[in-house]
Amino acid sequence: MALLDKEVSKQVKNMLGDMERTVKVLFFKSDDESECEYCSTIEQLLAELSELNDKISVEIIDVDEEEQKMEEYGIEMIPALVLLTEDGKDLGVRFYGIPAGHEFSTFLQDILVFSKGAIPQLSEENLKKLQGVEKPVNIKVFVTVTCPYCPRAVFTAHQLAMANDRITASMVEANEFMELSAKFGVSSVPHVVINDEHFFVGAYPEKDFVEEVLKVAKG
Amino acid sequence: MKERMFFDVGVGKSEIKESYDVVIVGGGPAGLTAAIYTRQSGLSALVVEKNLEGGYMNLTELVENYPGFTSIRGEELGSKMVEHALHFGAELVTDNVEKIQVEGKDKFVHLSSGKTVRARVVIVATGSTPRKLGVPGEEQFRARGVSYCATCDGHFFKDGHVIVVGGGNSAFDESLFLAKMVRKITVVHILEKPTADARLREKVFANEKIEYRPLTELVRIEGDEKVEKVVLKDLKENKEYTMDVDGVFIFVGMNPNSELLKDLADLDEWGYIITDENMETKTPGIFAVGDVRSKGLRQIITAAADGAIAASIAARKYFET
Repeated sequence: MALLDKEVSKQVKNMLGDMERTVKVLFFKSDDESECEYCSTIEQLLAELSELNDKISVEIIDVDEEEQKMEEYGIEMIPALVLLTEDGKDLGVRFYGIPAGHEFSTFLQDILVFSKGAIPQLSEENLKKLQGVEKPVNIKVFVTVTCPYCPRAVFTAHQLAMANDRITASMVEANEFMELSAKFGVSSVPHVVINDEHFFVGAYPEKDFVEEVLKVAKG
Repeated sequence: MKERMFFDVGVGKSEIKESYDVVIVGGGPAGLTAAIYTRQSGLSALVVEKNLEGGYMNLTELVENYPGFTSIRGEELGSKMVEHALHFGAELVTDNVEKIQVEGKDKFVHLSSGKTVRARVVIVATGSTPRKLGVPGEEQFRARGVSYCATCDGHFFKDGHVIVVGGGNSAFDESLFLAKMVRKITVVHILEKPTADARLREKVFANEKIEYRPLTELVRIEGDEKVEKVVLKDLKENKEYTMDVDGVFIFVGMNPNSELLKDLADLDEWGYIITDENMETKTPGIFAVGDVRSKGLRQIITAAADGAIAASIAARKYFET
């Protein structure tokens, strides 16, 4: 049975009609269901998406066979999705876990932004501040797919990643990565962890999100 | 998650024009209805929503008092309204309004993305956000067991015991949602009788997982790294006691998001925006609708009604020559 029903497929098709360039999606998976409960569902979702628009090109990487690829992209757990620009550039935009529920909208938005050249939708002032970041920054946004405030936090984090090559930003679906969520004491989402040392909770406006990142990057 | 796999497409665009007839701040039922009526008057409409279109409805488990729907998930009603507004050609953008500036007849809406949109009429439908209880431990354990959103955070308390504070519709609706995943819920309320509607009361009282403790106050929240217990006070006996809990969900009313209009409109003593019967504030061309407005009943239907009135009156007053 299709994951996206007729109505949703129509909306997605319509929305992705604005795509300009090809976007590559790397999907790191395992066929071992005990390793990855949602891998087969994600694979199906990606297949349905690429059916709806041929500018979405999906590459599936079975980590049991191509472990070195994980290292190449700095992937530590699965399922993982990495977005690449048309010419294969990795801007540090990642999804750990299934981008379903409200996060599906983030995934589609990101694809659209990538297809238009991955130009971060940030104010000039914030762009300038972020371009001054010299230290590697890793942002993890813990979400649940039923949380309506979470997409904003993930989308903002991903914009930050697009703004500076040293910044990587990941959505982490908390239910799929329970141990990691417990490690960072996640009990309310969105829960944003920067460089594993600093965290804040809530969908901060862009300006405040940038300030939190700068606190860590300058510290 | 498996039992309810859904895919929210989202509609927020990022390309917008420099000017619209009507700019609506907030994409809940009030704002979306205003957008529908604005478009039906033949005017252009932009809805600016900072989080998710549909607004607070997204957090309501079940809506059972919106005519035409015996029972509908809040999220679903929200997305139907979004679809409706888009169908008639309203534009939606995901952004945050920082300031509204009035220059003669023109209003300039300044967005966090740095863009500025000009409009003749601005309709503010910014709603309200959950109120804090103001007890010791609440801030300290925020995101360490204290939550204001069952839909978002309920999953983290699977098989646990949580306490819900409040006796209104939100507290009862969210308790029923939590009951699907947690082991036990204790609902405490400072009054004897809950203020929730009879239907919700019946459902809560019939639920084996939920225990209702009236005349009980939450005094403080304690724990080490995260919430471990709460100190409660029996107001009848005037006695304090502790209870071990894994989480605290607080639903004790809302605060209006009226900051944006604090200089352009009069606010009532609780901070809600005062309007005339046409939803217009003291600044001509600036309207306030929905939960942010000073009024007697805050429901999806009254929010929608506000939106309809504001948009229709605005169209007649400012665009018909």
